[in-house]
Amino acid sequence: MSGFSIFDKTSSLHSIYVTLMVNRIQMLYFVIILPVFLIYPYMIWVIILVGFLSQMSIFLLSKWFNSIYASKGYEGFAELLGERSVRVLAFIGLGLILLKITVITLGYVEITQHFIFPSLNTNWMILFILLICWYVGSLGMAPTIRFVVIAFLSTAWMVLLLVNFLFQPSNTIHDLFPLVPFDWTIESWKGVLFIFSALSGPEYLVLLAPWFNTRKKILKYMTIGNAFTIFEYLFLFIASLFFFGPHYLKEIRFPMMEVMRYMESPVFERIDMILISFYLINFVFAISIFILLFYGASRITLKKSKEQTTKSGFAFCCSIVFICLFINNELFWKEATNQNILLELEIWAGALTYILIPLFLFTSLKRKGRV
Amino acid sequence: MFKKRKNTGIGNKIENSITKTKNTPITLEGLRKSIEKMDDAKIIEHQTQNSKLFVLIYVEPLIDQARVNEAVIEPLRRCTKEKISDCISVSEIIDISTLKEAEKQLMRGGVLLFDTIENQLHAVDLKNTTGRAIETSETETILYGAKDSFTENIEQNITMIRRRIPLTSLKSEKFMVGSQTETKIILMYIEGLTNPDFISIAREKIENIDYDQILDSSQLAAFMEDHTHSMFPQFQQTDRPDVCAFALGAGKVTILVDNTPFVLNAPISFFHLFQSPEDYINRWIVASFLRVLRYLSFMLSLLMVPIYVALTTHHYQMIPLQILYVLVDTRSRLPLTPFWESLLMLLTLEVIKEASLRMPTKSGQMLGVIGGIVVGQASVEAGFASQVLIVIVGISAIASFLVPNYLITKANTLIQFIILILASFLGIMGIFMGIILLFVHLNALTSLRQPYLAPVAPFYGKDWLDLFIRGPLRWMKTRPEALHPLQKWRYSRRR
Amino acid sequence: MNHKHAKIIFIIFVNIIVLFGCSPIVEKNLVEEIAPVTFWSVQKGDEEKYRMSTLIPPLVKEKKRLLTVQVDLLKEGVKGFNLKYYRELKLGQLRMLLISEEIATEGISPLIDTILTDPDISKRIYLVIVKGDFDEYINSQLGVQQDLDYYLYRMFKHYDNQGKMTVVNLHEFMKALHSPSHSPVLPVFEANNENFQYLGTGIFKNDKLIETTNNLEEQIYQLLSNDHFLKYFTLRDLSFVLGHVKADIQLDINKAYSELMLTVQLDGRLDEIAREHDSLTRDELSRFELEIESYLEKQTADFLKKLQENKVDPLHFRNHTLRPFSKPLEEKEWSDKWEQMEVKVDYDLKLQPLKDIKN
Repeated sequence: MSGFSIFDKTSSLHSIYVTLMVNRIQMLYFVIILPVFLIYPYMIWVIILVGFLSQMSIFLLSKWFNSIYASKGYEGFAELLGERSVRVLAFIGLGLILLKITVITLGYVEITQHFIFPSLNTNWMILFILLICWYVGSLGMAPTIRFVVIAFLSTAWMVLLLVNFLFQPSNTIHDLFPLVPFDWTIESWKGVLFIFSALSGPEYLVLLAPWFNTRKKILKYMTIGNAFTIFEYLFLFIASLFFFGPHYLKEIRFPMMEVMRYMESPVFERIDMILISFYLINFVFAISIFILLFYGASRITLKKSKEQTTKSGFAFCCSIVFICLFINNELFWKEATNQNILLELEIWAGALTYILIPLFLFTSLKRKGRV
Repeated sequence: MFKKRKNTGIGNKIENSITKTKNTPITLEGLRKSIEKMDDAKIIEHQTQNSKLFVLIYVEPLIDQARVNEAVIEPLRRCTKEKISDCISVSEIIDISTLKEAEKQLMRGGVLLFDTIENQLHAVDLKNTTGRAIETSETETILYGAKDSFTENIEQNITMIRRRIPLTSLKSEKFMVGSQTETKIILMYIEGLTNPDFISIAREKIENIDYDQILDSSQLAAFMEDHTHSMFPQFQQTDRPDVCAFALGAGKVTILVDNTPFVLNAPISFFHLFQSPEDYINRWIVASFLRVLRYLSFMLSLLMVPIYVALTTHHYQMIPLQILYVLVDTRSRLPLTPFWESLLMLLTLEVIKEASLRMPTKSGQMLGVIGGIVVGQASVEAGFASQVLIVIVGISAIASFLVPNYLITKANTLIQFIILILASFLGIMGIFMGIILLFVHLNALTSLRQPYLAPVAPFYGKDWLDLFIRGPLRWMKTRPEALHPLQKWRYSRRR
Repeated sequence: MNHKHAKIIFIIFVNIIVLFGCSPIVEKNLVEEIAPVTFWSVQKGDEEKYRMSTLIPPLVKEKKRLLTVQVDLLKEGVKGFNLKYYRELKLGQLRMLLISEEIATEGISPLIDTILTDPDISKRIYLVIVKGDFDEYINSQLGVQQDLDYYLYRMFKHYDNQGKMTVVNLHEFMKALHSPSHSPVLPVFEANNENFQYLGTGIFKNDKLIETTNNLEEQIYQLLSNDHFLKYFTLRDLSFVLGHVKADIQLDINKAYSELMLTVQLDGRLDEIAREHDSLTRDELSRFELEIESYLEKQTADFLKKLQENKVDPLHFRNHTLRPFSKPLEEKEWSDKWEQMEVKVDYDLKLQPLKDIKN
């Protein structure tokens, strides 16, 4: 083997990548099912409020990025928290990352099955997606992070397609009324939780800190990413409200896809198929990053973080992820009809990690600073 | 890997033994022995006016006979001076001490002059410079703009570049590569502008080449590439001096190889393959349009046939009713599935393309026309292929020629086949998986260790002015950021 | 293992799978082997619940025939078709669903739900109510007109969003069905063995057909709701034809929901006058305008009265009761209030004579 290492830190990437990554990681599976959990027009305010909450988390994260520990990667964490607790955290992280991979992959695969290949055996699809992700990941961390630009460029424009739906003649402003909640139920709380969970993901960027040339206005760049996501959420939600009306929206399973599907083009019918396939680029990017993190976390857990990375080790991690996805798909995802246990778990896990990780890092930084 | 190392070991040993034997002092006998059985080598003995004997040794086809007569033989005959070498009217006379050196000079068009009295060997460079005249480039034709192109003569090529960039900071480093061919290679760059990393990487890569024959610049490129198993060229090959001058000025390095009209420019990015010298001659709006058209046609040529296969095998829903109406009708009588149908048609097209390329120009054109029209028409009438497919194959073939770089056109077909297979397998999803694999591959590629998708990933916003569009030259105030030039501004006075 | 080798192995692996025809996709969609149907006509069956028919082969220039099956379940019908015909019928290109009036009066929810859940079927599928026997019409036209199904589809596509007739697709129907007013509409056609002609707009209450507009009501409906444009507005009672009529509508419901004020600003041309009159003067034109205005006011009020009696709201007046910061009305509450509501209609017509007029 040559000196090539998956976690090679030769290049230091510009902060613009942070913007793009924050945005793309927030625009994964949850955004597709977002309107189902929100339904009511007053959720527009909730999106904005939760967006500010997310901004708080990002502010705390930026404190971490600006600390001296961030650019050291694993050593930084070990220095701050002690090697033993880092290993424990990495072990917990393994589960969380796996859960995240599971939900976004299975969710995406389900959509492909629903809209493109109704008779597809989903396990094949999982295998193909993971094979691609394995290829992406095996080329190393730096190219994978660079891949975010392609993922962004090939998926961000999709939002623009929906502009059309804001100006349909059948739309009335009344579709957005009433704008204040009159019955705030447990479901509404769940909507709040869901949005926050959908916005989660940037907390994993702390693990990628060594690859960025941090310190330089990182907060600004993260904020732009977050703001863009919130803008997209709002836009998508309003467009879907206009398109379905709040009452019909309740009955739709994949509202975003249905909206896309309604679009017409002179060359192809069913543009949704093309758009879903386009969206694969974003998913491949995110899953690859998460698998790489999974590999890194498992190396830390197994006390091997100082050794040379191997392709076979990475391939082994990919196969573990695949087996895990396969089992989850067979046992949980296919069985679930409306209330999906994995999805529920991920909603909670995403929201918790997004609030806890920044807080935890921030407080430990503060403590270290005082002692 | 183990084997390789062993081989090189043996090679080194042999070479060492050869040099040992050749380092012995030169005698006329030794020289005679070296040129034994070389019919074209000549040994001529003459006497000067004061009866000094001198021997001339040269290889006849390599030297300029007229100049030898005029500059060496005539002056020497009339020579009355003490030292023979003082009589010769050439700029440089090299004193030679070893046999190896003597052979080297001899084989490069030098005339060896053996002074029998002083027992000293001199060499005079009188090489025959005949070669092709400067002609118009045939691989990169443009309507307007400079018409000259490189020839096989490296000195002439350097002249053409130096005339365009008359700077002393334009450096040219010489390397000799290839144990058999001893090919002269010149690395050119502008000092103080080109990123020193590129220069040192290129230097290191050239020095590390250990091979017997380097006959062409593409061969050199093969040894300098970072990724051997990629379909994409990692060096820009061009025979246009203006392209080279532009590349040098932007902060790239240029590598010239003797006896090749094509020089290498590096580092390049994927997007360079879509840039034509004419882009900078046309009006910027027109040039931008053409460039966008090129990217579009590249995608079209890659995707049209796979999309046809994907739609007809998996996604009949995606075909508009009007088109489906035509398609169902034509396809319902065909014996082959869309995948095999298009695979065969694409292969046929490749055969025709390749055949017409290898034929002499005029019959090649004929072959192309007849092959295209007749075979296409006949296969439709015979019921082997549908009209729709013939149209699509035709368009995608034409579209593939829009890419200015011919090497990519070849790679194009192969990528098309891979995507075709994926399309027949997984439909539209397969096509996108193919595209993703392509992107991922390009993303990880490097040229001179610089990312291949440079202004996009990694992202350099300013370079986008000359990427998918060709912005007005006035606006391109800085040199491409992706190349990290030492002099950022194109303007000498910053505005 | 070197990843480049892995790539080659991966490609070989894919090749093997493809060449041996082993695909993870069970369903075959080769265009030459399928028959993508473009329409379904669903009528009430004799013994079974539904009688479904379609024209086969769709899209191919072969002799066509009408295929009919009697079924209880819609999807059973698809299966029934496949047992009868050598190409597999596929629903991915289904563009029209023609439902007979009998079924529509009983409620079309079961039908619609089946269509809705099928991921293959586009939400752009046009829904049409047919009075009379559509099969009879198709049978009579088989020899006369080629590719009838295709041209029928083109017709709907042409009139979509044009405001000359009501054209409703599945999504629009569903959105209206779930909107606060719960009164979707669908076009109603009449079919017999010679003709297939547009009758008017069928007004639904939830999923049941309640009422079909007559000629004048239809025109008023088009003006008030559907794109607010009419190319020809025939007023048979007054012997006028107005052309290129554009309507601008203002709606005002008072706070107590007891009064609805509808102001319609009409702009149009006087295309045809079928009564005895002297050369048109400005006075006469304004007299005509007044006459038409009062006539339309009455007719519109009557039309709305009818809707109120039926407790339907196809013009979505209820949407106008929604305010950004107040609680929306309950279902029952609205329905009562709508029935009791006093409707005032005011037309303001601006006519443009075709030729220059004298003062």
